[in-house]
Amino acid sequence: MICFDNLSKRYPGGFEALKNVSFEMDAGEMAFLTGHSGAGKSTLLKMLMLMERPTSGNLLINGKNLNRLSNSQIPIYRRQVGVVFQNHQLLLDRTVFDNVALPLQVSGYPSSEIGRRVRAALDGVGLLEKEQQKPIALSGGEQQRVGIARAVVHKPRILLADEPTGNLDPELSSEIMALFRRFQNVGVTVLIATHDITLINRMQLRIMHLEEGELTDDGAGYGR
Amino acid sequence: MAAKDRNARDSVQRGASGKKIRFADRWQGYKAHHRDTVRLSLRKLLSEPLQTLMTVAVIAIALALPSALYLTVENIDQLGSHFESSAQITVYVKKGAKPQAVDGLRAKLDAMSGVDSLSYISAKQALLEFKALSGFGAALRDLEENPLPAVFLVQPAVSEPIDMGQIKRLMSKIESYALVDDVQIDMAWLQRLHSLTEMGQKVVVALGAALGLGVLLVIGNTIRLSIQSRRDEIIVIKLVGGTNAYVRRPFLYTGMLLGIFGALTAAIMLYASLLWMSSSVANLAELYQSQYRLQGLGMLGFLGLLGLGGLFGLGGAWIAVSKHLRDIEPK
Repeated sequence: MICFDNLSKRYPGGFEALKNVSFEMDAGEMAFLTGHSGAGKSTLLKMLMLMERPTSGNLLINGKNLNRLSNSQIPIYRRQVGVVFQNHQLLLDRTVFDNVALPLQVSGYPSSEIGRRVRAALDGVGLLEKEQQKPIALSGGEQQRVGIARAVVHKPRILLADEPTGNLDPELSSEIMALFRRFQNVGVTVLIATHDITLINRMQLRIMHLEEGELTDDGAGYGR
Repeated sequence: MAAKDRNARDSVQRGASGKKIRFADRWQGYKAHHRDTVRLSLRKLLSEPLQTLMTVAVIAIALALPSALYLTVENIDQLGSHFESSAQITVYVKKGAKPQAVDGLRAKLDAMSGVDSLSYISAKQALLEFKALSGFGAALRDLEENPLPAVFLVQPAVSEPIDMGQIKRLMSKIESYALVDDVQIDMAWLQRLHSLTEMGQKVVVALGAALGLGVLLVIGNTIRLSIQSRRDEIIVIKLVGGTNAYVRRPFLYTGMLLGIFGALTAAIMLYASLLWMSSSVANLAELYQSQYRLQGLGMLGFLGLLGLGGLFGLGGAWIAVSKHLRDIEPK
């Protein structure tokens, strides 16, 4: 599903964020990406979201080389990827419902369909009764769950998460992780960048480790 | 309800299915989205009334200035053609001419070929009219005798375009009569007027282009500010798969609405000043015994102004959003 092939990313200043990274993930696999801050976790996720393009090397998604996608094709690609951010990136002037509806609206779904799917996604994260509230009125854990609902409402094939439990207490963190497990169980490929070691050690899943832009351990075969 | 929700959840958990959207649904969604976008853009504009009002006022002034000049030039042009078709020859009768002799002259002028119509203003009539209209009535009362001559106003039979040679021949023929003191026609000022209006039209184009650019910049800047306050929103929309067109759309509508509101305000300003001036113009026209009235924008001009405003708004917004979108493309 995801295939990094000798991918490097050097920023204009000369900083090398990723050095010859190669790994593969199967469809329906779930893995963690660890490393110190600045090790390249976020850059790697940005490659997968096509927020950045590699300096060299290839990134294949489902056999398709992302380098060959023109800028105008990027939106179509992003519609099969769901992203959960550390700071949730919710739009504060819109209701929870409207935030979750956004990926469907940009894809041109009819409003009846949007209503059905948004409620299903909110129900999935246990926030159905908060759909008309503004994100600011929710707790940190709830905000993160809204972010997850938005990331999965359009049924992506790949789910990415950048420090999704960053500022949550351990109990909430394991709740969130359980949610991700549920998506993996229905065939979504899930990649989570985190440095919450105690949490991921409990989960018996593949762990990839980045160090100064190099993938020192790709953990392949672990936990499958 | 609970069963329905459970069904909905099941469909989520089934994963990547039902991805295809039917074309008809997509079209319905697209139309609804446009409607919502217009409504949202309008609401955003109205939520900052002062800012919107100021922008609209600047646009209105920038559109009203060249439009006003255009109307002025059009009106002057109209005035010229008005006088052109009524190129009158004034025939001054020698002072002290006997009434019978004047009647004789009238008959001769009437019989001339090339004369369309004729009217006579006696010296007494002329004096009365002058007193009534000039405001020098009191001064004239002190005069011992009437200084004004009697005149014939000769309307030559002319065809468009006016043949000056033909009129000149007619004039010299009239001048040859013994009773005629002087013959006058003033066509030179009409020609001058023509070249003036031609110049005016060029000034309108130049001024219109400069102020149009101004409108483009004002709207572009307003949109740029609104983009900056909605940066996060744009990034999120882009990340969940929104196309550039989707990001652009609300800003384009905002720009277009600003332009149209500006044009509407400009039209109102023009109409108000027209109303304000029309009574004095009517008075002036009366002094010249003319039926001349000021011409407004008209329906076509009004629609043209609205269209132009909308187009400028669209253009300014397009430039601003495109620049921002280019900045956030992946590198």
